[in-house]
Amino acid sequence: MGRGQRFGAFLSALVAFAVGVTVMLSLLLGDNPALFGNQPGSDELARRLALPADALLRLVAIFLALSIVIGIANLLFVHVSRLKSGKFYSAVLLASFGFTVFWYVTRQGDTSLLEAVQLPIESALAALLFVSLVHGGSRVMSKRGDLWGLLFVAVVVLVLLGSLPLAELAPLQAWSDWLMRIPVSAGARAMLLGIALGIVTAGLRALLGQDRSYRG
Amino acid sequence: MAENTIALISFVLTLMVFSYLLGDVPLVGNLYRIAVYIFIGMTAAFTLIVSYEGLILPYLQDIQDPATSWTLLGNRVDITIFFTALLFGLLILLKPFKSLTWLTNSVLAVVIAVGAAVGLVGALTGTLFPLLQATVAIPEDVTADFSALVDSLLIFVGAMTGLYYFHYQVRAKAEVGAEQSRVGRGLRHIGKAVLVTALGAIYASTILTCLTILTERIGFLFQFGA
Repeated sequence: MGRGQRFGAFLSALVAFAVGVTVMLSLLLGDNPALFGNQPGSDELARRLALPADALLRLVAIFLALSIVIGIANLLFVHVSRLKSGKFYSAVLLASFGFTVFWYVTRQGDTSLLEAVQLPIESALAALLFVSLVHGGSRVMSKRGDLWGLLFVAVVVLVLLGSLPLAELAPLQAWSDWLMRIPVSAGARAMLLGIALGIVTAGLRALLGQDRSYRG
Repeated sequence: MAENTIALISFVLTLMVFSYLLGDVPLVGNLYRIAVYIFIGMTAAFTLIVSYEGLILPYLQDIQDPATSWTLLGNRVDITIFFTALLFGLLILLKPFKSLTWLTNSVLAVVIAVGAAVGLVGALTGTLFPLLQATVAIPEDVTADFSALVDSLLIFVGAMTGLYYFHYQVRAKAEVGAEQSRVGRGLRHIGKAVLVTALGAIYASTILTCLTILTERIGFLFQFGA
């Protein structure tokens, strides 16, 4: 690594640390007058402390919107270049994109295109997911026939049967309710706590310069 | 667009997506891909419209009015923020130039740092503390509702053993060959059972959601056909 590159890496890490700590402190201390003992002027102080986070979040929001525009422009360029080699599906994509923009510009506020095309395709794709999920569930037993695979499939079957509105299945419904209330709730909490701990660790690593994913 | 036209287009597109189930049949097999490419093109167009109309345009209109201010720091600061974001967008495009990578990286550092800080504060105040509080909470009147206490204890044990199971996996990789105690193995198995149960229930709920959507789609196809 050359001297210039080392300086660049140091600068990026310094910027990340300064910005991250500013936003974190601003979010934790801002807009919370109770932290300053509700004394005269604490409202104003809390409001002023919230300003750096507010400004930086707006900056990032506008930047992300611009990044989306750049990303979509890139998608279009890729498909235009594929068009030259006679790719039919790229032509479909470009036509669909162009028609939607034209429709929106000429008929402001008309959502019928969304109802006619977007919603049916989304719903049909979600419906197809049912087939994939059932197929995947059946493969769990054939590929992994141990105790854990059996437990997984048993829980799936119990929850599915418990959701049926049949009087004959009332005992199963009671089991299913208990399952959702205790073990599933505990498991979901464990997963959420694990995710939160992971976010905290990853966030701290990024702020302290341990994880410099922005170096590209 | 007339309602009949909407229904006809919906009908055709639904059939095109469902043609996936027929597999690689000549001609029919392409219908699914056509529907997916239409979907991607339309999604890209709507995303572009929403990004422009929902974020860029309102900010652009606001900075033109000296009386308004987002940050209470005055219109000039708003204009500075907007043009800094524009500059950031331009700097990102310099990524292919090796000698200017430090500029692009500094922009990405700002975005990642803001994201990390927001994620960190959100995880601490929105998930970690409230969930820990809810998990260790004991019912107010224990004698009157003993079953509630048992439930709380079971949830606490389940959540903690679930977390222990994650922890155990990290240690197992770090200390190759290190034997776990019987108690450790037992807790790990309880944690794994709790997590498998939760994942099974989530899987079943997703199947139910997809089944509901499939029923609605099939109902629509029959209704249109009739």
